[in-house]
Amino acid sequence: MCDTIINIVNIVGKEVVRTVIGLVGVFIVVLGNAIMLTWTERKVAGHIQRRIGPKEVGPFGLLQSFADSVKLLGKELLTPANVEKPLYFLAPTLIFVPVLVTFVVIPFDGFLQVKDINTGILVILAFSSLTVLSILIGGWGSDNKYSLIGAVRSVAQNIAYEIPLLLALLPVILMANSFSLRDIAEAQRGAWFVVYQPIAFLIFFVASVAETNRTPFDLPEAESELVAGFHTEYSGMRFSLFFLAEYTNMFIVSAIAVTFFLGGYQGPILPGVVWFFIKTYLLVFVLLWFRWTFPRVRFDQLLNFSWKILIPVSFLNLLVTGGILKL
Amino acid sequence: MIFADIIFVIIILITLGGALMTVLSGSIIYALMGLVTTMFGVAGLYIYLNAPFLAMMQILIYVGAISVLITFAIMLIGPLYKKPKEWSYPLKFILAAVVALFSFFVFAKVILKTQWTVLSKPFAISTKDIGRLLFDRLTFPFELISLVIVVAIIGAVMLSLYSRGEK
Repeated sequence: MCDTIINIVNIVGKEVVRTVIGLVGVFIVVLGNAIMLTWTERKVAGHIQRRIGPKEVGPFGLLQSFADSVKLLGKELLTPANVEKPLYFLAPTLIFVPVLVTFVVIPFDGFLQVKDINTGILVILAFSSLTVLSILIGGWGSDNKYSLIGAVRSVAQNIAYEIPLLLALLPVILMANSFSLRDIAEAQRGAWFVVYQPIAFLIFFVASVAETNRTPFDLPEAESELVAGFHTEYSGMRFSLFFLAEYTNMFIVSAIAVTFFLGGYQGPILPGVVWFFIKTYLLVFVLLWFRWTFPRVRFDQLLNFSWKILIPVSFLNLLVTGGILKL
Repeated sequence: MIFADIIFVIIILITLGGALMTVLSGSIIYALMGLVTTMFGVAGLYIYLNAPFLAMMQILIYVGAISVLITFAIMLIGPLYKKPKEWSYPLKFILAAVVALFSFFVFAKVILKTQWTVLSKPFAISTKDIGRLLFDRLTFPFELISLVIVVAIIGAVMLSLYSRGEK
């Protein structure tokens, strides 16, 4: 048994085996994270609104998400008559590509990383653009006015907030002198970058709330006006793929924020991966907290906030950082 | 080597398939999807040539920004997606053919005229080298490009201000 495994490893090469094991791990983290987060979100929402949240299925309602996913799996997949079939089917699949690619470069610990690519953050930013593309073709392909309006809003929002997102990450890249996420995490051995770059951290966090379409910036799926926005026409597992992608994106933006500003996997006593998950879920909790605290902004407020405040401030921050580093 | 060749052929097929889809599909949104596929194919070629930075920039800019902007424009101009193909305009077809053939001959001529040298060792250039090159030897073209972008931005701002009825 052991010999066969070693033989296989020798034939296909260590790198391939490592990548495959890493990808399996990624799948486990993605699914576990989504199941945990749906439960956490409902609990947090409940307690913020002075309710208890789910409590019937399992201890503290922990098995509620499993019950929900079984229900979603069992549902009939309705395909509305007028949809553009190829686009409609492609969208839920396509929204998962960036999610999986992004996980490849995130360093969970010094060595716990699927692959350290020296243009790591660029991989994340490049592939995250596929998310908005799949929202677009999903909204367009559904042939539904709510979906289309949701999709159009999503593009305007994503274009507006991708710029401050990039500009907030640039000062950190300048300071760490590398695009690789592991190098950036390693560069914070002394002090976390949030100490030097508090403004960039705030800008990144606000922009990432918008990029993940969470309240107060959830206009693409504003329930009270657009039914469910771009995924109105999706049901069953296709809907849950969108849902899964949203929760995974929350994890990803928090993980990037942790890697860039909060020292990544660095921390005393506990192993790095534990620290990484503690920090990431703290940020995710803040995202949940946002959702149940702030009302939704108006669309012009949303765009003005990005173009008139976030972008100039982040340009200024970049300029000052560059100036100080070169002095 | 055979493995590398197979990957090369796959990348080329993706690129050309996307390009054909862009040109031949009747619906404008499918044409855009073809364009995105082509961009990914080109990015794949960059990775094949050991230039990951360029590949990521290709995806970031052409898929992330330009394609998304094109889609946005398509959504604003109304429901074109159920229109039939436009083969029925001969003048358009002839003009398109002339432009396409002209650019084909120009590119073919350039490709045939260039002296291609095969490198003995794999070509490797880091992101740092690219940055140094941009701000050292290529500073003038770099600044010139940024000037073009500034002009475009000012133009866009002016247009949007006028259409809002302000001065």
